This record gives sequence, C-alpha cells and structure tokens, in this order.
Amino acid sequence: MAERASERLVRLLGLVTYLDSVGGAVPVEQIARDFGVPAEQVLRDIDLLWVSGTPGYWPDNLLDFAIDDEAGTVSVVQTQRIERPLRLGTREAVSLIAALRAMGEAIDVAAPELADVVRAVLEKLTDAAGEASGALDVRLAVDTRPEVAHAVGEALATRRRLRLRYVTASDVVSERTVDPMRLRTEDERSYLVAWCLRADDERTFRLDRILEAVVLEDASAEHAASARPYRPAATAEPVRVTFASPARWIAEQVPHDGVQEHDDGAFTLTLRVENHAWLRQLLLANAVHVRSVSPAALRADLVEAAASALRQYED
Amino acid sequence: MSTTDAAERLLNLVIALMNTPGRMTKDQIRAGVVGYDDASDESFERKFERDKDTLRELGVPVVTVDDSGHAAEIGYRIDTDAYALAPLHLTAAELAVLGLAAQLWQDRVLRTDTGRALTKLTAASGTGVHTDALAALAPRVREAGGAYGPLLEAILARRAVRFAYRAATTGQRAQRHVEPWRLAVRGGGWYLIGHDLDRAAVRAFRLSRIDGAPRPVGPPGAVTIPVEVDVDSALGRPHADARRAVLAVVPERAQALRARGVEPDPCPPLPSALAGREVIAVEFEDLARAVDEIAAYGDVVAVLEPADLRAAVIAVLQAAAALGEERHDG
Repeated sequence: MAERASERLVRLLGLVTYLDSVGGAVPVEQIARDFGVPAEQVLRDIDLLWVSGTPGYWPDNLLDFAIDDEAGTVSVVQTQRIERPLRLGTREAVSLIAALRAMGEAIDVAAPELADVVRAVLEKLTDAAGEASGALDVRLAVDTRPEVAHAVGEALATRRRLRLRYVTASDVVSERTVDPMRLRTEDERSYLVAWCLRADDERTFRLDRILEAVVLEDASAEHAASARPYRPAATAEPVRVTFASPARWIAEQVPHDGVQEHDDGAFTLTLRVENHAWLRQLLLANAVHVRSVSPAALRADLVEAAASALRQYED
Repeated sequence: MSTTDAAERLLNLVIALMNTPGRMTKDQIRAGVVGYDDASDESFERKFERDKDTLRELGVPVVTVDDSGHAAEIGYRIDTDAYALAPLHLTAAELAVLGLAAQLWQDRVLRTDTGRALTKLTAASGTGVHTDALAALAPRVREAGGAYGPLLEAILARRAVRFAYRAATTGQRAQRHVEPWRLAVRGGGWYLIGHDLDRAAVRAFRLSRIDGAPRPVGPPGAVTIPVEVDVDSALGRPHADARRAVLAVVPERAQALRARGVEPDPCPPLPSALAGREVIAVEFEDLARAVDEIAAYGDVVAVLEPADLRAAVIAVLQAAAALGEERHDG
C-alpha cells in the first residue's frame, strides 16, 4: 500500500529538523536507519524538499541541501524556518502515554533498571499532552507470583538459563531447563517465550502456570526465534459448539475456523482442537451458555466429567 | 491525485504559512502555493479545508486571523510558538523505551499515531529509535477495531456519540447515545467507558460489539469528563477485598492452584465423599473468574467454602451435566 500523504509530510518536515539538529553532513544510510525507511526513499524525500519553499519559488525561496555523492552524505543548507521540531499531536501523545503506562509493570519484572527511564519519559510526555493524557487506559496482565517474576526477569537481564517447574493446561507437572528469550506481556495473560532444551524448540510458558523458576549458573545460548504462529493440525477433528449470546467473548478471543450466527444472538463456532483438556475446561467453565456440542463423543465426555465433579458434592 | 502531489502541496503550505509576515488570505494561497493554482473555485475550497484539517490533526497549529470583519480579508498563518515541540531532551535509553512502547499496538490506527510520534521525536533528537537492547520484552495489545478512531476523536473534542450496539445478554442491536469518557483495555478486551444518556448511568461498552462507526453528535466541548474515572468499577470489576476459598484437592493435582495456595486455618472437616483429599486455601477477588477456574478442574477440586462460590460451581456443573438433554433456554 502506498504511504499516506500525512505520514510522508511528517517525515519530510522531520528530515529538515533532523539534519539541522545533527548539523553537518550525515550519511544517507544513517538517516534511512534512523527513520526506518529505505535509503532510496530518503533520496526521493530530499528531491521533493529541494524544490519546495515559499511562494514565488525563486532559488532564494527554496530549501537547499548539499549532497556529497562520493561520501553518500547530505546536509541542509537553507531550512526556510521549518527546522523547528513539530510538536506531538494529541492522539500521538495519547497512544504513546497509554503504551508506556501499560508497560510499566512488565518493565518492573523484566527490566527493572528501566523503571526510572519510563517514569521520566512519562512525565515529559504527560506535560506535553495535558489533560488528554488519560483518554486511553490500558492494563496488561502480569499475573504471576513475585518470586517467579523476579527469577524470570533476572534470567532475561543476565542471559542465564532457567530451570522451571511448569504445569500444563492438562494439569501435568514437568521440569524443564530453558533458555529464556523474551517476556510477552499481553492484555489478558503474560508468557515467557523460551527455548526448551528437552524439546529443542521454542516453547511458550504461561507465567501463571510456572510453579517454580530457578536461575542457573549456565549462560543461556542464542537461538533463532521461530516465527511460525501456532496452528492446530488440520487433521484435528472439527468440533462444533453452539453458545448462547452472553458467551460472545469466546468467538472474539478463541482462534476458530468459522462462526455461524443465529437469529437470537446465539452462534455456532467451528474449532479445530488438539488439546482436548483445554477444550473440556473451556466448555465446563461456560456450560451455562453452551447449547449443543458435536461430535457426540465429546458431549458425552463433557457430561461425564460434570457428573463426576458433582459427585464430590454428594453427602 | 497522487500521494506525492498531496505531500508536496501540504509541505509548501506549511512553509508558506510559517514564513508569512502576517497572514495569507485564501486568494493568496490559491495564487501562490504550489498545488492549488489549477483548481476550480469549488475544488480549491474542498482541497484547502481538507488540508487544514490534515495539518491540525498532525499537530500543526494553523490559526485563522480575522481582525477586519471582511470575509475576503480572513487569513491564515501558523502559530510558530505553538508549532514547536517543547524541548524534551530524550536520552537514547528513553527513546528506546518509547520505541518498545510503540510496538505494543497491533492496531493499525494506533500504530499510525505512534509512528508519527516516533518520527517527530527522531527528528527532534537527531537520532533514531533503536530497541535492540530491549529484545527481551514483547508487550502486545490486540486490535481495537474501527470504532477506536471516532471514539478517541470524540473524547478529545468532548462530544457525545451515537452508535449501534449489540447487547451481550440479548444479542439485540440498539442505538446508544453516550458521552464518551475513556477508552480502556482490560483482560483481553477494548472498552468505551462513558455516561449513557438514555439510561442516565455510567456504562461500559465493548468496542467489538459496536456496529459501524460511532457518529459524533452535539457541539464540541459539551461533555464534561470527570477527573477520576474508575474504569474497573465501570467494568464490574470493583477493587473488591480478596476473599478466601477453601478447596479439597486430589493429591498431586491442580498444581497451578496450589502454587497460589495459602495455609487454611482452621482446617474444616472433610465430608466422606472427599476422604483422602488435601485441603488448600486460595484467595480470589472475582467470583465469576474463580467459578470458571474451579469448574474447569472437574472432579479434581471441590469447594468447601464459601457457600456462594460452592453453589455457583455446582450450578455450572449441573448445566454441563444436562448437556445431553435438549435445551432452549440459553
């Protein structure tokens, strides 16, 4: 998709400010890196700036640059008064402030040395945004016990190996040694992404299911992050569940293969699930809103699980 | 019209309005600034109005100068003092943290807003935003959806909004008329918190249940937003005091629950059906969440106390046990 004119304008103005504030000749490659665009785009931007200026557009009215083709550098010669840094728009400040506030807790866990930096930036930005700064309020979930959070944070910061005692969704406990890669903090849950030495692959551990974490003496090794997203095997048998309307959030949050709407707000989800323990837990917890489940074997399994659980309450 | 033309015209308009000694009238702009000269009257008006809006949205303070009272004399200039970013003096570490914060958003609109901010901060500090040192952190917030932009604009402009909303309980779609106060993200969902004018009460609306784009209604500045908005109370998650659940657990099982366990005191007697169980106590704040978690353990965890939690878990299990039967209550 072509870049929007607004985005390009902000960069065009920004390039003049940047060249003026750095002062002198700046390598095009460095400008490209700092602005996150290809070097060719920087040159196209300079070309456009070069023919822009105040009405009349005589040579003295135009912006002017000095390009050193051999050294691959650019410097600004005439800024036509647009070298001043443009202030942040309210929406821009709001989105940055909300993100910074939301990250505060994750930073405390994984990079406590940055906590002061976050506070300092927040103060500066909040001053700039004024009363609008609270318009957006985001809280991330760092739902774990302090000692686990502390160990995970220390291992990430000092690049050391971790020994974990972990319980899966199927309530199976195992011990694993992992090389921690990053802390993924989401709005609902937080995860440790790590290289599991036993599986010799990247694995994701829900922070609230880590029972114990011990930082080992060994340094953690570098592993290439595997970028493939989780996809259930296509061979998994499709499961169809019809939920009443109040369970709408399930359609919004659980990955599914399709949703079919019914007149009264009910809906049928098609899911491909390998982990039946997880599905049984989801359906048990939301049984009040479940209208039907197929295949029949799964429904029977669910009914039996519920009946067995109810026997706990018989006198 | 190509993007280059639009960017070039906007750039030259900024330079012109920054350098004008007093003001520029529309006629002067049309005759003098690149990109406006070839337009008909009508298309010039449209173009110029749109460009002014675009510049203001980007933070460029375009002001209208009207001191003579004659329409032809109305002029425009950029307030050069307001134009400038207050000196922030961001360090490399502070810029890196901002870059990381910008990665939080999965939403296209939010990414655009933060992207612009980072471009401006890069320009002002003369250095790029490099987050390599922070690779260990990966915060993520899911997409907000199309309602985000119009709702944020309405909050910033202090205007009421109207939108079609699908109620969770009934699935019925209805028009809502709301004074928007805050946008919030909690537990995996985007919400609007505001004053519902028809119901005369504070309400929370899930953005994913809003149909189409919310429309602003009424004049700007008409809404008064309270200084303190308690998002969690509005979402029905009041900061309740933690309560203690006493559970009978099959030995060696439910480890995630046990990890949060505290010592129950005194240990209540076990009914005969639960002989051999271990008794643990865990704290919970939200009854519904506790019910979900415990019911999901099936016959591994039984609630001994408190009575309301016990009854709620039994009700959920009875619903699941009845799944074999035809039901149309929903």
